[in-house]
Amino acid sequence: MNLDFWISVAVLAGIYGVFTLGLQLNAGLTGILNFGQAGFMAIGAYAYGLLVVNAQWNPWAAVAAAVLAAVAAALLVGLSSLRLRTDYFAIATIAFAEMVRYTLQNAQFSGGNQGVLGYDTAWRGFADAVSSRLSQADFGGHSQLPLLVLVWAVFVVLIIVLTLLERTPWGRILKALREDEDAVSALGKNALSYKLQSLAISAAIAAVAGVFVALNITYLYPSVFDPNFTFFGYAMLVIGGLGSFAGTALGGLLFWALLEGTRFVDLALSAGQQASLRFILVGVALIVLNRVRPQGLLGDRAGMVAGR
Amino acid sequence: MTAPGEPILHVEDLSKSFGGLHAVAKASLTVEAGSITALIGPNGAGKTTMFDLLSGFARPDAGAIRFKGKTITSQAPHRIAQAGMVRTFQLTRVFAGMSVLDNMLIAMPRHPGEHLPTLMTRPGAARRREALARGRARHLLDIFGLETKAGDFAGTLSGGQRKLLELARALMCEPALVLLDEPMAGINPTLGRTLLDHIDHLRRSEGGTFLFVEHDMDVVMTRADRVIVMARGTVIASGTPREIRADPKVIEAYLGDGAAS
Repeated sequence: MNLDFWISVAVLAGIYGVFTLGLQLNAGLTGILNFGQAGFMAIGAYAYGLLVVNAQWNPWAAVAAAVLAAVAAALLVGLSSLRLRTDYFAIATIAFAEMVRYTLQNAQFSGGNQGVLGYDTAWRGFADAVSSRLSQADFGGHSQLPLLVLVWAVFVVLIIVLTLLERTPWGRILKALREDEDAVSALGKNALSYKLQSLAISAAIAAVAGVFVALNITYLYPSVFDPNFTFFGYAMLVIGGLGSFAGTALGGLLFWALLEGTRFVDLALSAGQQASLRFILVGVALIVLNRVRPQGLLGDRAGMVAGR
Repeated sequence: MTAPGEPILHVEDLSKSFGGLHAVAKASLTVEAGSITALIGPNGAGKTTMFDLLSGFARPDAGAIRFKGKTITSQAPHRIAQAGMVRTFQLTRVFAGMSVLDNMLIAMPRHPGEHLPTLMTRPGAARRREALARGRARHLLDIFGLETKAGDFAGTLSGGQRKLLELARALMCEPALVLLDEPMAGINPTLGRTLLDHIDHLRRSEGGTFLFVEHDMDVVMTRADRVIVMARGTVIASGTPREIRADPKVIEAYLGDGAAS
């Protein structure tokens, strides 16, 4: 297990950490069970990839368009389904994410299972230039290092922005929505509007994570956006602590270290068995955590108990 | 502003059915500005449904609701609250996992800090409004004897304290009319009297209007200026407590057929 391996683990933790920040805003702060985050991420990633490859857009403009596309999808999903009760909304969003994935798998424009290739020339050029600079400083050869820095810089900025937003009167309404939507409406606040805002911001964040996913792999294909990833996000959320944006970073690191770091433990098992064992390990860790620290690593226990 | 004595709320032929049940059937009523009006009636008379219709939590099948001279029938709950009619719930609904102070601050109307565009472009205005909200919240908590609880989670309050908080929170909205659904239910009589004293005091000092559902006839007869009686979904009588006490229709509704004769 060398440094490059751990860099790639930290890249994954960062990408899915960003992804999970949106879930934290929805589930942790607003009380919306968004199970469609992988769908928003797919829309962001494919919008970016297709615009760069097929329409030769500038990558920055493509990122902006990817974010807008995910926000538009969030408004569509939200307006049609946010009036549903929490758990029914969760079902509607998972259906949305599957619709997105099956569409990408079967449509012509998205390249089906062959996917999208060649959207990352500009990024590779930049990353290689940075890498060669680093090798002059005797720290070369780590091809994933530029992406690691980019992902974690964005991740940290987003954590700070969201934590600040949480403390504003705007964030206060989201927290109240988590507790009792009717009471919020009865006090003259437009509950649906705030839930839509929460979902739209979360989708925008998922789109950014989607672009990072695209840069991390060499081509885009539909199964990267399996609904499983939404549940990975929820696992990270629970580990880090519901309601804590900083906890998302910790949860992300721990989850991916647990999942990927155990890859090289040598056991007398088949590859399939060992892969399953890694997920069992994550499950055991979740159960133990639930037992000894139900609020998660950085969660707020007092608020959780009082809120019951 | 509606002048005292003028109707602030006017309900005409309001109807609402759930399946075959006519919960509210052609009910009409008027609430005068500046009054404390009690809404009474036997169980199942449609009082809570009436509150849900007034506050926008249920949509009427027919009829009209006019509030401060404007028709508000079928408007969304937050619109009605913004217009100045604010309700409380039969079972208190405080935000248990938030502090008592935050419960109050949530209710501040016209807060630029609650909207992302104005929060970004006018942070100064948001800060000033927040400071004003804190001042008002502290003042109201002081009146209701909750000032020492400001930093506590609302979930740690007793049932009676939650009722007080819910009323104080409703008053943060600067309401012209407060709808109280059984404010005395489930709290001890001393605290209940305190709550009623507050309502009486607020009505006198700030000219608020209160419509409340209540089962305790002593409270209704001594505290209300006007009484509206509902039975089987419709309004069967309204008047002063003295008139209501003498009304044979009311006695019949409560005691059943033949009791008045």
